[in-house]
Amino acid sequence: MTKRLRNFLCALCVGLGAATAMLPAAWAGGDGFDPDDHSEDEGPAHFGFVKDERGKPVRDAKVSASFKNTFTLVTRTNATGAFRVRGFKKDINPNDIVITCSKEGYKQERTIRRTPPKSAKKPLRSVETECRLRRL
Amino acid sequence: MPFAAAVTAFVLLGLLVLGDAMAQTPPILRYGQAASAAKTMFSIPIVVAQREGLFEREGLDFRVVIPIPGGADRMIDALHDDTVDITHVATTFLVRAALAGSDAVAIAAEFNNPIYSLIAKPDITRIVDLKGKVVGMADPGTSISISMRKLFVQHGLRESDVRFKHVEGTSTRLNCMRRSDCIAAPLGQPHDLLALSEGYRLLALSTDVVPEFVYTVTAVRRSWAAAHQDTLVRYVRALSAAFGVIRDPRKRGVVIKAITDTTGVSAAIAERTLALYFEPERKVLPQKGEIDLKGFAQVIAFMGEAGHLKGPLPAPERFVELQYLKRAGVMP
Repeated sequence: MTKRLRNFLCALCVGLGAATAMLPAAWAGGDGFDPDDHSEDEGPAHFGFVKDERGKPVRDAKVSASFKNTFTLVTRTNATGAFRVRGFKKDINPNDIVITCSKEGYKQERTIRRTPPKSAKKPLRSVETECRLRRL
Repeated sequence: MPFAAAVTAFVLLGLLVLGDAMAQTPPILRYGQAASAAKTMFSIPIVVAQREGLFEREGLDFRVVIPIPGGADRMIDALHDDTVDITHVATTFLVRAALAGSDAVAIAAEFNNPIYSLIAKPDITRIVDLKGKVVGMADPGTSISISMRKLFVQHGLRESDVRFKHVEGTSTRLNCMRRSDCIAAPLGQPHDLLALSEGYRLLALSTDVVPEFVYTVTAVRRSWAAAHQDTLVRYVRALSAAFGVIRDPRKRGVVIKAITDTTGVSAAIAERTLALYFEPERKVLPQKGEIDLKGFAQVIAFMGEAGHLKGPLPAPERFVELQYLKRAGVMP
């Protein structure tokens, strides 16, 4: 297998993995709500990946999405390090939701919020955050 | 020398100030709530306590944590994996977890004698009409399912006569009927009243067939509780005060607002829900969070009847720790 082909297959696998992770059923255990439970007053979903210092996905990391320390949704990442939580009301400013991640043997390094381009259609449907962990 | 003394004094002063600040930092208490309960009446005592500042009054930094995915059967797991410190949980799940080795115990009652309405599509007029139909149902081990099966038997239906579809959460079961994926389902408040306002039909109430029992409780691991006794006493005191607010006619507006904001129903349906609970008193809510051991034993009896417990039934005391209710002045 040539190096180029190997790189292509590798990229394809990563792409498929990411695409699979975007499907609701592929989330680590789903998000606990049936599709019909998405109410009209619900705000954007918060999704993203947990990665280690080398950029590798961290599976089964605990991810918390907190609103002003009073209300927190907690989930875990799947095999691709992906997570998604939803259920915050739309009158909550997405910038007030703080994402943190943790896993035994790791320490949280930083989070990176990926804001959609200004040209993106409104209303905002999802907010992406990457959470970085460093192995202790 | 004077310089060294000054530095020492400065450090000591700093430590004192820091210690004082730490002593005044309110303890964080992470309270687990199932996603299926978050938008229902079952969250109202906590919502009221938050809105009325009852946790702050007790010096607690109280935080609601909803594990996702968060089936009601996973709330004890959330205690064990350190997602939460205490949790709201249906008594049957607590008993099941404790018998499987968990050291979780109930420290206060949150809901007793739930009123589950068996609601059906408008063309279904009797329970017997459900023969061969799909009925949305909670986990088979819950008191909801147990009470519904009793209703079916009382009306001449065997379990095998009905096709059960596992749907957790009252609002989700209502949506199951709206989609016509279910013909009937047990609904709690306020979604049952909402369904009736949409033309659905009430077939029966769970309270027609089951005696009084303890439905949901606040649970904690004994190991965590031993190290946080004062925090738990404060929590119980705040929860107890919330029940007082809910029953206080002068606070009716506050409670109605909490229900409408939390569940999304109209004020009229919120008022009807409270009327259903309190006019006359149907003992749906404890007076102050007290745990009725007889009602707890009834849950264990349900589980035995349903075949979920084998052998001699355990005593309720095994699953309950009353010291926090006593120290909070709720129980003698």
